[in-house]
Amino acid sequence: MLASTPFTIALRDVLGERFRVHPDECAQFKVDGAAPKLVLSPRSLDEAARALNIVSGERATVVLRGAGTKSRRPPPRGDVDAVLDTSELRGVLEHKPGDLTATIAGGTPLHELQFALRKHEQFFPSDAPFAATATLGGTLGANANGALRQRYGSLRDNVLGMRFVLADGAIAFSGAKVVKSVAGYDTHKAFIGSRGTLGLIGELTIKVAPLPAVQRVLIATFEDCASARAAAGTISASPLFPLALTLHDSRAAGRVPALRTSSAAVWSLVVRCGGSRSATSEQFEGAAALCKEAGAATVRDVGDDLVETVWSQIAELAGGAAYDSDSFVVAKLVAPPARLHELIAAARNAWPDAEMTAHPHVGVLFANIPAAGATSQPGALWQACAAGGWTAEFLSAPHVRGEEFIAPLPAGLAIKLQRRLKAALDPGGTLDPGGFLGGI
Amino acid sequence: MCAKSKRLMDAAFIRRLEGIVGAAHVLRSPGDLRNYQYDGSIDQALPEVVVLPGSASEVAQVVAACNDRGYSYVARGAGTGLSGGAVPETGGVVISTGRLHRILDIDVANRLAVVEPGVVNADISAAVKQHGLCFIPDPSSQAACTIGGNVAENSGGLHCLAYGVTTNHTLGVEIVTPEGELVWLGGRTVDMPGYDLLGLFVGSEGTLGIATKVIVKLTPIQEAARTMLAVFNSVEDASQAVSGIIAAGIIPGALEMMDRVSTQAIEEFAHAGFPTDAEAILIIEVDGLRASVDEVAADVRDVCRRNHAREVRFAQTQDERERIWKGRKSAFGAMGRLSRNFYVQDGVIPRSLLPEMLREIAAISEQNGLQICNVFHAGDGNLHPLILFDEKKPGDVEKAVVAGEAILRACIERGGSVSGEHGVGTEKRDCMAVQFSPSDLDVMARVKAAFGNRGLCNPHKIFPTSRRCGESSRRMQHLAPETAAATGPAF
Repeated sequence: MLASTPFTIALRDVLGERFRVHPDECAQFKVDGAAPKLVLSPRSLDEAARALNIVSGERATVVLRGAGTKSRRPPPRGDVDAVLDTSELRGVLEHKPGDLTATIAGGTPLHELQFALRKHEQFFPSDAPFAATATLGGTLGANANGALRQRYGSLRDNVLGMRFVLADGAIAFSGAKVVKSVAGYDTHKAFIGSRGTLGLIGELTIKVAPLPAVQRVLIATFEDCASARAAAGTISASPLFPLALTLHDSRAAGRVPALRTSSAAVWSLVVRCGGSRSATSEQFEGAAALCKEAGAATVRDVGDDLVETVWSQIAELAGGAAYDSDSFVVAKLVAPPARLHELIAAARNAWPDAEMTAHPHVGVLFANIPAAGATSQPGALWQACAAGGWTAEFLSAPHVRGEEFIAPLPAGLAIKLQRRLKAALDPGGTLDPGGFLGGI
Repeated sequence: MCAKSKRLMDAAFIRRLEGIVGAAHVLRSPGDLRNYQYDGSIDQALPEVVVLPGSASEVAQVVAACNDRGYSYVARGAGTGLSGGAVPETGGVVISTGRLHRILDIDVANRLAVVEPGVVNADISAAVKQHGLCFIPDPSSQAACTIGGNVAENSGGLHCLAYGVTTNHTLGVEIVTPEGELVWLGGRTVDMPGYDLLGLFVGSEGTLGIATKVIVKLTPIQEAARTMLAVFNSVEDASQAVSGIIAAGIIPGALEMMDRVSTQAIEEFAHAGFPTDAEAILIIEVDGLRASVDEVAADVRDVCRRNHAREVRFAQTQDERERIWKGRKSAFGAMGRLSRNFYVQDGVIPRSLLPEMLREIAAISEQNGLQICNVFHAGDGNLHPLILFDEKKPGDVEKAVVAGEAILRACIERGGSVSGEHGVGTEKRDCMAVQFSPSDLDVMARVKAAFGNRGLCNPHKIFPTSRRCGESSRRMQHLAPETAAATGPAF
């Protein structure tokens, strides 16, 4: 099929040199360790649409790929026919500082976007992991949120409109380019977290935010996880509204020099404060008082000079970004925030060597498990998840191939509607078939 | 399967409905049916029967019965919607959520509440206030409108500028699908695995199913708020002040504008203390921590003064603050005293184009010889121009149609939207083809089909008919003053 001459001629006609078949070149676009047979690098949505139409017409399968930072997720794929590489779909197409909106090509690296917005003292209010390389489209496809979601909303809350390309080549838009619209279905929301299985995220209109005038970072240490969690809960329930909270065990904290502790039994709660000078001080002092009340062993200020550096290091602890994907399996688990410490205890029981980072405001836990210790079946954890209504998924698990290692789907998930949505937008099953949950 | 045209409902179907919800909860008398023929928009249509289920399972059974017999059905909360979403255009069955009004769980530790769809919006904040929490979206009709309707329309409100609309404050919904199945979308935790069907459902205007339970996010009540009136001698200056505030990196909790005619009507109606000779008034509320809120309020005041505000007046007491908001929320009701008829638009433009767009609206007003007044969410560029007309005056209705279409087209041409918060429903469905391409609409139709809507679940809403973007004269009838009592802000 892939060797058929009319097929390759048609693709070369659309993409020119940005259509690759040479194995050495294709090897640079691996997905889950496997090199594709073809790589398509369209430069416009129109090119992407024509290329996808040709490929899906040949019944070949396509995996969409941004920077490839999150491409080691189970279940492992079989052979990959084609990779659509979004790196040429790049650029800040429009930034309207006065409207607090911007329109961006999906393949734009996050850091490029933030750099462009920063000139106007604005930013895309997300501290998504893999910040140095990940693309905006890939970040959205993986719904890779950072802890800033606490103050600014999650990624989906900051996407106003999207132009997407379906596997059959249809280009469509949903949402709007203004900050408020209820016209039509928010189809774009389904693309966020779809891992490229519904269509290509082509262009996005996003909300941007003014950079906080002042920021401070507070680090409090606790001797047990439950107290640290309780302190986080009190801060979340208060009118302090800090920008973000993160929680780390001593091993995860050890990866950020400013968080290192001498005791192995210590949990670190990090509070990122920001806003006007007086608001930031009030947040900081208020959070410090609440931490002390909750029994914090130490409370300190990271120092103005280090705020940006420390926070960018902390952000990379989420989603396993700071961990070598050959050596660590990365699990994401979610519970109602008030039960986060129970979730952490259950995960610790299943994986004694895991390094833990959590976003306590939303009850999200990232467990980074040394690959050597990841082969046992976490049956008790899955039972705890089922009983508590908690969810679990693996973000990266290159070494683990057993079916039993796949986290169970939560009860009551509308799986029939999930399958139907996939069938409605990708009827030919072109986009990473089987790559989404439940084998969708 | 298409919705059958109006016909006499068969007795066996009625008996089946009575068997599901009890005979007392099946309404058929002409007087009863008339109460369910309208919402807050202008379209009306009589249902053939109204049922009031008492549980999610009963809703599912009613939907299954409708599917079996080919009757269309539409869910209805308080009927305060402004775009015809709850109007039973093809007759059939109205499924009222009136009996589903329980708050099932308030989970303070996890800052969420589980409620039935018929719970009134303001009752959620009232129920959780003792815990220092609130539910953010606060539509003007919040004393009457229900959470089920808020979810269907993705309602906004006065305080959504900084904190988002209904979709940003909904964690999960239990729905009856158009095929009559009970399923959950989202849940008590964030980031549920799978496609974000919850995000698709919120704002789908009752066309993707009926919500039977809603899990809402609760937010801590801000420690302090400062509400101020900035008074201007020109609309242009007020618009520039709005841009100036946003440009200064300040996102107030609320940022509203009223022009002179609106202010006069509201003041006469609500006695909120608004100066009636001002060309434009901004109501600005900043909130946050006690010390910082004064700092931000002072910055806002300075921006207003730089843009020639003749007066910036701070609300000194909670009572004064509540009177200001009560006045603002009674705006549409007050307009009923000003004109025999009015036609409200809900277009959105990029907020930086506000001055230009207000000039355009003034020009449209002049061209058509109809007064248009403006009372709207300036901070997010969501306009509510009210076209005043008299249906008894020959030619007025046609002029209002032309003016309305011109305004919506002007919004779309500026990269905006035909609806910021009222929904498309029947009222703006024929503008959808202007704002969206055939391909965009085709994808939406695929989504509708994926949810199993084969034409009986709230038929003919959102999607364009063959008519043009203007409005039919049916939609120009008299709009009664808002009956819902306006209340103070949610927090």
